[in-house]
Formats: sequence, structure tokens, C-alpha cells
Amino acid sequence: MKRLIYIAILGLTSMSCLRLDSFLYNSDTSISEYLLDDFDGETEIQVSDEYDIADSLVHLFTLNSNLDGDIASIYTIYVGDIGRISSDTVILYLHGNADHLDRYWPRIKLLANTGHKNRFGVFAVEYRGFGLSEGTPTEEGMYVDADAAMKWLKEQGLTDDRLVVYGFSLGSAPATELTANARTLQPSKLMLENPFASDEVMVEDASGLTLPGSYFSDLEIDNGDEIQKIEEPFFWMHGTSDAFLQIGTHGETIFKNYNGSYKEAHRIEGATHTNVPFVMGYETYLDAVEKFITRP
Amino acid sequence: MYKVYFYIVLILFLASCNVTRVVKPLEKGEQRVSANFGGAGIKYSGAPIPLTLTSINYQKGLDTNVTFTGSFHTTSAMFGVLQTDLGLGIQAYESTAEKFGVTISPMLNILYDIHENNLRLYPQLDATCWWQYGEKPHLFYGSVGTWVELQKAKAHLQIQDNELLPFVTVGHQFIGEKWDVQLELKYIGFQHDNRNVVVDFIGPSHYGSAGLFVGVGRRLSK
Repeated sequence: MKRLIYIAILGLTSMSCLRLDSFLYNSDTSISEYLLDDFDGETEIQVSDEYDIADSLVHLFTLNSNLDGDIASIYTIYVGDIGRISSDTVILYLHGNADHLDRYWPRIKLLANTGHKNRFGVFAVEYRGFGLSEGTPTEEGMYVDADAAMKWLKEQGLTDDRLVVYGFSLGSAPATELTANARTLQPSKLMLENPFASDEVMVEDASGLTLPGSYFSDLEIDNGDEIQKIEEPFFWMHGTSDAFLQIGTHGETIFKNYNGSYKEAHRIEGATHTNVPFVMGYETYLDAVEKFITRP
Repeated sequence: MYKVYFYIVLILFLASCNVTRVVKPLEKGEQRVSANFGGAGIKYSGAPIPLTLTSINYQKGLDTNVTFTGSFHTTSAMFGVLQTDLGLGIQAYESTAEKFGVTISPMLNILYDIHENNLRLYPQLDATCWWQYGEKPHLFYGSVGTWVELQKAKAHLQIQDNELLPFVTVGHQFIGEKWDVQLELKYIGFQHDNRNVVVDFIGPSHYGSAGLFVGVGRRLSK
């Protein structure tokens, strides 16, 4: 009997390193190329031809992103005239936690119509381990990949005052982190759509108990606290029917904790986690984004 | 989103409570060990599935009316969370014919993670009415109880509005000479609207979560 108990304790001890981090990322690496307009898989929203972008203004290329010596080749899409980055305002779009960039292409196109077609440049990053980007998804990996995009933008002549960061869902983590703790560029404005407050909030929502996130994972995503460091103007939109990242526990917490220079909220009645722009109406959505970006 | 959903479901493995209370106190000196599994029911891809957390439990009759109970939650341990519950089962009332009784169980749930040394304590109080019917010592029982949240604030210093996690149960203990089997239906957190929550809990009228729990116990000689 004693022997059995020892074996059980040894077994449990050796298994106690199980963590849930890897289950958080919902990437799809099965694609062999990015199809963009020709992609017929599941997308977050659908947009009509009127929002199409000329092929000459769609630039798909890779960047090297260095995570403590682990260099991954990550894919990016720049929508706009690269030669004008030194004078344009650029929206850095940080996507959510699903599949790959093809899924978010309609959103990226839509943003490229803010104001009028190609008024602002839009730069989207495929995190490591998503789509065709090399590597494995990790929290710090997202941050260095988003920062690699900022380095490239800086090399093209972008300055802090013309960088707007837009984070959707999981993308709210690198967006908030790199605005709160700037590395290469200090974004001038922060936009979050259906953001993720933290692992703790997800645990609270699921369990009904105030349990630490460390019980389940090593994630340190902490937008709910990091937002307090941000002075730059902040734009938040969230669907009231988001059953995945609840508006009350995730979005409202972040909005409430922001104490910077300016904030505006768009609580979109009936919208879910993925369809805020659609429920708002694309033109209304683009007007709201433009007003915020051009706000002095 | 299936992987993310799996992530959340695994959280529930660790965060659910289970069937480790004392239904009817043991005789003085009597001991019982049991293995327990089960958990809240959720919908996965539209189909109802039960969660299956596991624990082992030890009970010992300290007196005729007081039994000690202690559990170790094995699923939690796999994730580096040492989870135990310790408590007593106190016979508050027993009919003279021993056919009916009420057991009060004060307990303390202790959770500690070896990764960041985070400790959580959840006091628990149950009241169980049991009915021993027929010639055999089988028990039918019903309980009401609650976990108590001691954290004054939720994450990011948000207002704590979940002070209690109450539950009601109905169960049956099939008792043999040495072995017993316990089946229990539990309805947890019935004050919470479960719509627009990250997990599709199964609960009547979109409130709370219903779960099924099973325990297999063996009585040891005094």
C-alpha cells in the first residue's frame, strides 16, 4: 500500500508541470499560401467589392523577428503606398486568436477604407506560429513580432505621432503592452475592439471563483492593469453580446481602468465577439475610426 | 476556437467542487476511503458533456456523531495546484430509529499552486438531510450548501459580486458490507445567469450549472 502511495505521489509530482498555455492559441498553420481576396474559408466578417484594394497597394512580405535569439520569419501585409510611410499615418492591426491573416483580410481591407480608400496605411502582422509565420505562438512572441513590425515601420520613416495601434481580441495584448511599455515606437493612439482583460478574468468568468491565473497557465497578459500606464488617447468598442470575452468583465474593466488623456467607448448593442463592424454598419464603423484617428 | 474552448473547459476541471462531504457520520473509529469523479455539465459543440475531475477522500469517525473528512484533488495536482478540503461531518439530528438525520459539515477548501505560491481558501458549509429506507442501509439524501469567497475584490480590483457559490444536491448512497457507491446530482451557482458566459453551462432556465458526481468508497475495519 505504501509503495502504491509513493508511486502515486511521484506520478502526480512529475505531471504537475502540465500547463494550459498552449491551448490558448488557436492558430492554423495548414495553409500553403495566403489567398486574401480568393480565400473562401471562414472569415470574421464579409465585405463587398467596394472595399477592395488595388493589388499594387497590397504588399505581402516577411520580417525577421528575434525572440531572445530565436529568430522567426513572420509574415506581414502592408496595405498602402510604402513610399508614403514617412509622411502617412499608419494603423498597425494586431489580429485575434484564430487561424491566420486570411481570416482577418476583410477587416484589414475595411480599415484601409478609413476616411477614404488608402487614406491611412494599414499594417497587419501574422504572429509566430500562425499561418505561414515560423515558430510557436507565445505571449512574448506576440510582443516581439508586433515590435518587429514597428521596427520596419520606423525604418520606412514612421514616427511615434503617426502610429495608431489597433488590437482585436487577443491582439489587444500586444497592442496594450507595446503602448504601455513602448519598445521601438511609442504609439500615439490605442484602439481596442473586444479586448481581453487577463487570464484571471477568463478564469473568474468560467469558474465563478476568484482564482489566480497561475493555477492554470503561465500567461502574464494583463491588459486590465497595463492600461493604467497609458496616457495616449484610447478608443474602445465591444459587442454587448460577446459571449467569449464578456463586455462587463473584460471590456468595461479595461475602459474603467484607463486614466489617460482621452477615452471613448462604443458599446455595440447585439454585436458578438466577431461582428462589431458589421453590426455597427461599415460606414458608421469607419466614421468612428476616422474621427478618433484625426482627433487633434 | 475549439482549442480556446478546451482551455476554458480545463479550467473548470480544477475549479469545480465535488462529492466529498460526510452524508451520515461513521461509527467511532470507523474509516472510509473513496475515489470520486464528476463535475459540472457543459455543452460542447451543442452536445451535453460532463466534466470529470477526480479526487480521493478519507473519512474517520472521531466520535459517534463527528466524522473527519479530508480530500486530495488529483486532477488539480496534475497542474501543480495542491487542492485539499478538510472538514467535519457533525450529526445535528438523528431520529431514534436511525432512519432519518441531519448532518452539518463545516469544511475548508485549500488551493495552493507550486508555480507562483498563490493560496486560496474557501470555507464551505453544508447541511445534509439523509433518509435510510428499507432493510438495507442505503441512504437517500439532499443537501444545501455554499462555498464562501474570501477575496474582497476580483481581478484588476473590480467589485466582488460573487461572495457565495451555493449549491443544492440530491444523491443516493448504495451501501454494501464494505463497499459503497455514491451518485449525486448537484446544481451549482443557481443565482448566476449563465447566458453570455464563456462556457455553455447546462442549467435550468439559463441559471447556474448542473453536474453529476460519482464516488466509490470502501469502509476499513476499525
